[in-house]
Amino acid sequence: MIEFVKPVGNKIGLHLRAAGEFVKVAAQFSSEIRVYNGEKYANGKSILGLASLAASRGTMIRVEVEGSDETAAQKALEALFDAKFYED
Amino acid sequence: MSRSKLHKTNGPPASKPQVERRGISASPGIVIGTAFVRDAERLTVPRYTVDAARTDDEVRRFLQSLADTGKELRVLKTDIRGRMGEDHARIFDAHLMILDDRALVDETSALIRNERLNAAAAFDTVMNRFIASIAGIEDEYLKERTVDIRDVKKRVIKHLLGKNTRVTRPDSPSIIVARDLAPSDTAQLDRRTVLAYATDEGGRTSHTAILARSQGVPAVLGLESVFDRVETGDTLIVDGNTGMVVIHPTPETLESYRQEITRFRMLEEQLLTLSGYPGQTLDGREYGLTANLDSPDEVSAAVAQGAQGVGLFRTEYFFISQDYLPSEEEQYKVYRQVAEKMDGKPVVIRTLDVGGDKIASYLYRSPELNPFMGWRGIRFCLTRKDIFKTQLRAIYRASAHGSVKIMLPMISQIEEVLRTRDICAEVREELKRDRYKFDENVPLGIMVETPSAVALADQFAREAAFFSIGTNDLVQYTMAVDRGNSKIAHLYQHLHPSILRLLRLTVEAARRRKIRVSVCGEMAGDPLAVPILIGLGIDEFSVSPNMIPEVKRIIRAVTFDECRALVRRVNRFRTTAEIEAEIESFLKSHVPTVLDQGRLGT
Repeated sequence: MIEFVKPVGNKIGLHLRAAGEFVKVAAQFSSEIRVYNGEKYANGKSILGLASLAASRGTMIRVEVEGSDETAAQKALEALFDAKFYED
Repeated sequence: MSRSKLHKTNGPPASKPQVERRGISASPGIVIGTAFVRDAERLTVPRYTVDAARTDDEVRRFLQSLADTGKELRVLKTDIRGRMGEDHARIFDAHLMILDDRALVDETSALIRNERLNAAAAFDTVMNRFIASIAGIEDEYLKERTVDIRDVKKRVIKHLLGKNTRVTRPDSPSIIVARDLAPSDTAQLDRRTVLAYATDEGGRTSHTAILARSQGVPAVLGLESVFDRVETGDTLIVDGNTGMVVIHPTPETLESYRQEITRFRMLEEQLLTLSGYPGQTLDGREYGLTANLDSPDEVSAAVAQGAQGVGLFRTEYFFISQDYLPSEEEQYKVYRQVAEKMDGKPVVIRTLDVGGDKIASYLYRSPELNPFMGWRGIRFCLTRKDIFKTQLRAIYRASAHGSVKIMLPMISQIEEVLRTRDICAEVREELKRDRYKFDENVPLGIMVETPSAVALADQFAREAAFFSIGTNDLVQYTMAVDRGNSKIAHLYQHLHPSILRLLRLTVEAARRRKIRVSVCGEMAGDPLAVPILIGLGIDEFSVSPNMIPEVKRIIRAVTFDECRALVRRVNRFRTTAEIEAEIESFLKSHVPTVLDQGRLGT
């Protein structure tokens, strides 16, 4: 299992559309992806779960990736955070 | 329109009394027609226990409803993409992803199997859990987004309950009455059956307003309390020129509106024939007639009315109508489109003027006590340099495709112009580095809409490439009158002696530095104000496209010298009433029909 921590960088936070971008990336991998905002947990492949993490801009998000393609998944997801979910 | 158009019945009491409501005039034109009420019914979700043997069937039924909803959304998406473009269609992507959500499917199925709950109730429970966890948070923006999730929830439940999810549509041409219309609602309406829109919510930059203007259909929005009073089949008058809606009009009201429509049509036809002629006075002075636009959809209408350019392109609409910041690329595309459609004619792009009455929830975290005197216009942009630079880059890039100018709103201090000029220089450097083509000399002008800008007009005239007088705010700030406050709204007078004096100061300062002055507030489209503005010496009238022919007709019927003499006469008066009376008698002798059109006295 790998884990990484990244801030939510886009201005309006992890809203429905940004959550959708996350799921699009996550769904390309077979690894299990668990996303945490503090205590709150969401499955990284659930748009509703991610949206209900209610992470506004600047929130630190912890992501755990576990499975055969975990390294590739981690890279792709980190890139998505760095690209601010293609929003700003 | 004068209120005398609305007759009260004196005869036997009608079964339903006439009711008038005022809203926001979002798209011009007058229509008499039959109401079609777009019913936003409340769904009651039944809750019952399913037979243990039938839970698998219930889960299948649930999965089927998701598939059916998905099919429906994809059809809608294609339809909207075709008619309104990719940007509008994108909202459905997130909707479709919700339907595919594993957590949603698993949790709902588990509830059906374990609790033997019926599918609709199980789905409702799970969705409400998600909605509650989002709605519970502080962030206003994220909170608002539960709208999308609710919308999807409703669609799926309707499928489960076997209800029709299509918008019931009128089979004959009707006036669409609704609380509010979402893009997915209007997408399902056939353009040919829509006579007009009348909704309780929405404003000039809402989706429905932009759609109505591009369809050329009258619309009055923000009516607040019409939806509950109207039933399908009721007779309605929608007057998009004045923002008036009449429910159950009396025969007398109907008759006077019929006459009004006939007059309006005749006038329109007459005026459209003017579109090829210049806005020239009888003694040969030519005035610029340009359009105020909110969105690129309106450009064609403006050209058809004879606009010689865009005098004010407001850029708030995509900051407000969507829920994220528009990218440089997105803005560039729109500005470029407008510049190209105007085909070399000048396009004045006003930088973001959020604040005041136009607040995008994701930009503003907390409402201000006094937004009109708050963090708005240039003040907002200079503190959010990131947003400002993105917009300036997009405008500069669009300047490669036409004649583009930049205009700054809410200027009250000289530093605001100087700082913006520095930022523009930075932007040009960056664009050069990134190898973009652009016009090195895009003129940078200012809105004159604060008393401070008028008082220092001579200084501003040295720094700005042009002035555009925003009379709406200038009057509001000078007279200290909030037009929305009905107790004092009558004090809002753009022909008040104080305002005329400020206009004179502004024009004189501009004259001395030989820069162009236009007027882009509502005053520029008021027939009474036109001869005064000519006489004061402005160069350009920037008005909503449908007003262009009328302003032109007045210009073409007067001489500059007469107007100058008129200004000298009204300068003696101390009250608005005297000034208006003097102008009225002037117009009566020069442009007789102008006083019949019902626009005066509103």
